[in-house]
Amino acid sequence: MDKKNTSPIYWPWLPAAFALAGIIVFIFATFGPPASSSGFVSLIKGAVQTVAPDYVENNPHYTTMPDTGSWLFAFVLGMAIGGFAAGRTGSIPVRDIPEIWEKRFGNSRIKRFAATFAGGFIILFASRLAGGCTLGLFISGSTQLAVSGLYFGVLIFAVAMITARLVYGNTGKEE
Amino acid sequence: MGAEIWLGLLSGIAFGFVIQRVGASNADKMARAHLMMEGDIPKFMLMAVILSAVGLLGLETAGVANTRVLPTSLVATGVAGILFGIGWGFCGYCPGTTWAAVGEGRLDAVFALIGGLAGAAVFAHLHEFFIPLLYDPFNVGQITLADWTGSMPVAVVLLVFIFGLCIGAIHILWKGKNDGQTP
Repeated sequence: MDKKNTSPIYWPWLPAAFALAGIIVFIFATFGPPASSSGFVSLIKGAVQTVAPDYVENNPHYTTMPDTGSWLFAFVLGMAIGGFAAGRTGSIPVRDIPEIWEKRFGNSRIKRFAATFAGGFIILFASRLAGGCTLGLFISGSTQLAVSGLYFGVLIFAVAMITARLVYGNTGKEE
Repeated sequence: MGAEIWLGLLSGIAFGFVIQRVGASNADKMARAHLMMEGDIPKFMLMAVILSAVGLLGLETAGVANTRVLPTSLVATGVAGILFGIGWGFCGYCPGTTWAAVGEGRLDAVFALIGGLAGAAVFAHLHEFFIPLLYDPFNVGQITLADWTGSMPVAVVLLVFIFGLCIGAIHILWKGKNDGQTP
């Protein structure tokens, strides 16, 4: 399966970009700028609300965000359903540990899961500081010509490329 | 309210389907994109922005666009961009792709999602400390390219030009389409 990146199981980028842009424009017409890190806040807000309603009411971050009964949470839930549907009807192999990670760090699930937990923590912490993520700030922002989105976009791509080099070293190049 | 939830769900399903099929929910492909081995995902993202910006200009002209420009905070947006890049490069997921990957059944994405919920909760708890410290003093407002060019269509042309150049650069600098499989 090493050739999978060239095999037709993945959609080519150009028609896929047209499809995604169509969806994004539909969202701008029917809702507003699409976002996904907000869905995390909605979910955690809904969860915390059930045990500590006073805390949520007095927290300035939660008060600016709707809880789970919202477009924002329905959207991320939809993304999981869409990912499920696409995965079940397609032939893209599903792995718990990415190939390149396994080559570099071995097949320890604990190590990989700890890494994605830490990575997920960092990206959401950062997204909430900036007010958005790859979608909510970079894609939505740049679509609206926002300087915030372009500035964030340049940094996330540049730093992710440097980080990936440090994490993987020459793992990819040996192939 | 009810309609809004159905619209969100429908939009999410379509969005998740497309990003799964193009491979963006696959952390292996994302890492290869960051390592300049495969250019498809970044080209896809940049092209989607180009087309969305043109489409949004159409919506604005028709008067049916719902926009909300996030402010630029020189320090907060910058620090967040650096932190985000570290997390993204390290694990290969961003917040949106995490959900699609969980739906697909990738177990590592489940942990990214749980970590993300924890990260959001911790930030919410520290909001009152970080926002006045890093965000508010350096907030230069909801600035857009149109503020600089003086006209929205001109700004869209500029954006299309810049992003088009980036796609061209990726096409040249990232290894060829077949290189990811060269043994």
